[in-house]
Amino acid sequence: MHVTLMQAILIAGVVALSNLDGNFFGEMKFREPLVTGFLVGLILGDVRQGLIIGAELQVIWMGAVGIGPAAQLDIGAGSTIGTAVALLTGKGAAVAITLGLPVAVIMQFLNTLLMTSYSVLMHHVDKLVDELKEKQMIFIHIICGMITASVYAVLTFIVIYYGNDAINAIVTGLPAWANNGLSAVAAILPALGFALLLNILMEPKLIPFFIAGYGITAYTHFNTVAVTILAVAVAWVIYLIRTNSIPGPAAAADSQKEDDEEL
Amino acid sequence: MSNQIISAENNITRKDFWKTFWRSFTLLNSFNFERMEGLGYLYAIMPELKKIYKDDEEKLKAAYHRHLEAFNMTIAPAPFVMGISIAMEEQAKDDPDFDTSSINAVKVSLMGPLSGIGDTFFWGIFRVIACSIGVSFAKQGNVLAPFIMLFLFNTPAFLTRWYGLNLGYRSGSKILDEFQKSGKMQLFTYCAGIVGVMAVGCMVASQINIVSPLAFSIAGQKIIIQDYLDQIMPKLLPLLVTVGVYAAIKKHINVTKIIASIVVIGFILGVFGIVGMGA
Repeated sequence: MHVTLMQAILIAGVVALSNLDGNFFGEMKFREPLVTGFLVGLILGDVRQGLIIGAELQVIWMGAVGIGPAAQLDIGAGSTIGTAVALLTGKGAAVAITLGLPVAVIMQFLNTLLMTSYSVLMHHVDKLVDELKEKQMIFIHIICGMITASVYAVLTFIVIYYGNDAINAIVTGLPAWANNGLSAVAAILPALGFALLLNILMEPKLIPFFIAGYGITAYTHFNTVAVTILAVAVAWVIYLIRTNSIPGPAAAADSQKEDDEEL
Repeated sequence: MSNQIISAENNITRKDFWKTFWRSFTLLNSFNFERMEGLGYLYAIMPELKKIYKDDEEKLKAAYHRHLEAFNMTIAPAPFVMGISIAMEEQAKDDPDFDTSSINAVKVSLMGPLSGIGDTFFWGIFRVIACSIGVSFAKQGNVLAPFIMLFLFNTPAFLTRWYGLNLGYRSGSKILDEFQKSGKMQLFTYCAGIVGVMAVGCMVASQINIVSPLAFSIAGQKIIIQDYLDQIMPKLLPLLVTVGVYAAIKKHINVTKIIASIVVIGFILGVFGIVGMGA
């Protein structure tokens, strides 16, 4: 499928939105592949396929978070461009993942450069404070995110509109052995996402609960919601026990005092 | 929306708090490596600062400089801190002996613990649940999927912002004192961690599809490696790879290097049919 000028502009807009999500929109999650997949599907005239590829990418990047070391991947831009290419070439999610990955790395590198350069502007804001120029201070706050989003949009447009044929040739010309390699990479990548998520959540005293969550699912096929409900119950019980909120012989002596301390 | 007065003395109204609420969404907009969310924080509480120090330009400038200082926090719980800052600025205006450096000291002391709780809840729990449910709808091609996900995630995020701002303003310092003295802060974070970590454990077993297509014959008997792996433990490969990557991150190996290794090693293993994607 060939991309039209209008489609390329709109896809660039979705990438800009995915970037603004983390800046201007306070992480309302417009950048998640479920949303961008839906929007790209809408633009390219195949909502159903967009949603399905979005869902697959969502699962793969379920664990990937935008903080700490994970900030080295811009999943929003990567998934959007990946989904667009997958729909344009008629290939599945594996293409979206493998093409999205380098995009995610490059875009994040660019973002880091921009965030470094915005430091310089802050010294200018210091001066504006002394002159009480509030409007200009606010302008600088707003313009930073807008500059980043514009850079994202322009680059996306160039890649999608002018790179369309080249990408098409590469993707459709892949031999079977290369496809096997790419699908293995796509199989392993979610592990990176979850490892990154563990990196912000995990502490040694939580290891038993990781084992429990894994064990329950591996042997019973409970889904995430079911396991989360169990986890909330377990966490709640532990909270009650540790705050001596459950009446019992051991806690009886302190119970009155503890009640007074309840918020 | 009635415009009820929140602080009669400084004429701070509910409308000002709504401004701060909406402005707090843009906290990351001018993120930079020197002040991080500093300018965003100042922007969010500017309406209140302007009213508090409307008669004293020098003090207003000092307050602006104060809140331009480096600040970094998961954004959903940040309005709680903003509420505390506004309350403290009001005290600082009335009390000439008030140590204004304590305003930033409180902000800085909250960055770590509140980000910890915020990350656990919003990245570890709400995002994961909202996305999991969204995915199950999207797989059927249901166009409501993205909207369901956005609704499930943003409802707690919006509520945390609005009530956090009000709670922080009214009784922020009191709550913090009690929480920190009683050790409930750590306990609460730990309990939230239980939910987050169990959900990740679940997803490692349900969402990662690493299998081995390797099969060969020995003396006429066909040996399928994956069958043996499943007998040891289902989803063994996803667990091993996740733990391996986690260990690499913990050893402070650059994430870009980890990604490059996954691409190179994964590709080679895939080409030789040792590792593949399961059904």
